[in-house]
Amino acid sequence: MNAFNTLERRTQFVGIGFVTPTFLVIALILVYPVVQSIVLSVGQSSVDGFEPYRFVGLEHYAALMDDERFWRSLSVTLIFTAISIPLELVLGVGLALLMNESFHGKGLARLAVLFPWALPTALNALIWRWMYNADYGLFNAVGLESGIIGEPVNWLGDETLAMASMVIVSVWKTSSFMALIILAGLQSIPRDLYEAGRMDGMSRWQEFREITLPLLKGSIMVALIIRSMDALRTFELPFSLTDGGPDSATETLSLYAYKVIFEFVEFNAGSAIVVVQFAVIFLLSLLYIFTLRHKD
Amino acid sequence: MNKRPRIILYSLVGLSVVISFFPIVWLVLTSLKNTAGIYSWPVQYWPDPLTFQNYWSIFTETPELLRYVLNSFIVGVGCTVLTLSVGGLAGYALSRLRMRFAGVLMVIILSVSMFPPIALLPALFQTFLNLGLLNSFTGLILAHTGLFLPYTVWMLASYFRTLPVEIEEAARLDGMGFLRIFFSIILPLSWPGFVATGLIVFIFSWNEFPLSLVLMTQDAMRTAPVGISLYPGEFAFPWETISTATVIAIIPVLVITAIFQKQILGGLTAGSGK
Repeated sequence: MNAFNTLERRTQFVGIGFVTPTFLVIALILVYPVVQSIVLSVGQSSVDGFEPYRFVGLEHYAALMDDERFWRSLSVTLIFTAISIPLELVLGVGLALLMNESFHGKGLARLAVLFPWALPTALNALIWRWMYNADYGLFNAVGLESGIIGEPVNWLGDETLAMASMVIVSVWKTSSFMALIILAGLQSIPRDLYEAGRMDGMSRWQEFREITLPLLKGSIMVALIIRSMDALRTFELPFSLTDGGPDSATETLSLYAYKVIFEFVEFNAGSAIVVVQFAVIFLLSLLYIFTLRHKD
Repeated sequence: MNKRPRIILYSLVGLSVVISFFPIVWLVLTSLKNTAGIYSWPVQYWPDPLTFQNYWSIFTETPELLRYVLNSFIVGVGCTVLTLSVGGLAGYALSRLRMRFAGVLMVIILSVSMFPPIALLPALFQTFLNLGLLNSFTGLILAHTGLFLPYTVWMLASYFRTLPVEIEEAARLDGMGFLRIFFSIILPLSWPGFVATGLIVFIFSWNEFPLSLVLMTQDAMRTAPVGISLYPGEFAFPWETISTATVIAIIPVLVITAIFQKQILGGLTAGSGK
């Protein structure tokens, strides 16, 4: 009994030793900066510490309420998320169903679906920026030659078109990620459920509605949570595609916060934006977890 | 199955392959054109003349673009090694040592992984400025490690759970210490999990943007995605150089994805089923 206790205590001790480095890094890189952002957002100070920190309460948040560019960036972020996520979901489910079939060249097809995900988003944005180019771009060339468009379109120069263009790049990149997660869910559905369905004379659509979709709910929720949180912090896509333009039409919350902090060098005001963004993402994750719990 | 659905199936598959690939194909074609070919209207679909001039120019005239790729390598490898070592120990302790509060600790790790990177920037920049870690590989490797540790711990923990407990118990009865069990028994058994996780962490680090942008302010220290994105400068866009540099910068991830497709797929989807 005594020997067991010693082993038990030693195990706990070793365990603490093993997890300590991880928690030190997480504390330094993730937890402390977030806490510090909150502290910065309710104070006034200079980056180099020259101007001592002074508590100013909610001053920066009050200023945000009157900041049109902030509201614009918040709505850009929400609109971007609300349009791209449903599109990605539909395409992702479609792609996953496709990849779940058996056909020749499946390895190559899966690779093609995986590639857009593996590329750096910033470089994706550059690749697409070149294709959208109004003077020499691929889209105008193909569009004009096939007669789909009558004259060259300035894809990134018009407010609505720029947003649509950004959504397309995002959907291109991340539908594949959705598909991968949903595919994993598909493959865990027992085959005999479908055989039973076929015996009952179900059509393929009925199979999808009554077997596939309900059993996929878990994977779909996971994919939706991960992707929505990602979309709400979209940064390098507008950074490299449009720099937020034209006239802030694609300036996301992250991009605006970055500009306030590092271009206008307003650390405290920028921190307030960052804290608001943090709160939006946090509320969303709570909402998701709640609906997930509720439905199960 | 009868014939018509097969045709539909193959056309849909073909369509998704084409949509996934055409931007990359167009990028490569652009990089093989000369300047006149890139800025020509009507657009040249096939490079005429097909030339490797742009690649040659990068090596001889703008070696800073290669420097960015090298920087990304250093940060990616450093981050992968550090993340796997630190996260491996934690994942092992939290999944196999029957630690108290292991469940709570795992949830804490999961929740901090949801922090938006932009929220870290103001304070991280200040801290790194004070510690002298701006523009240093150590600094960015540490930052990336923090960013990707939660994923690593979760992935490796779920991998360790699939190993049979009996081997460890036998080793413990033989009087082996914890560290020896970890290194001589657990590691050899779980290397596929380490490979999958490591590859994905490397890709994450290679692609990471906001922290790399802010923590490396000197041009010579920039990583590939940041350096290439900022290369255009204010007004001119030298697409011949940018397309070529982009091809060079995405080759590593494309090769890794192509070779280790199975491992990466497994690693990406392992945690999501539960």
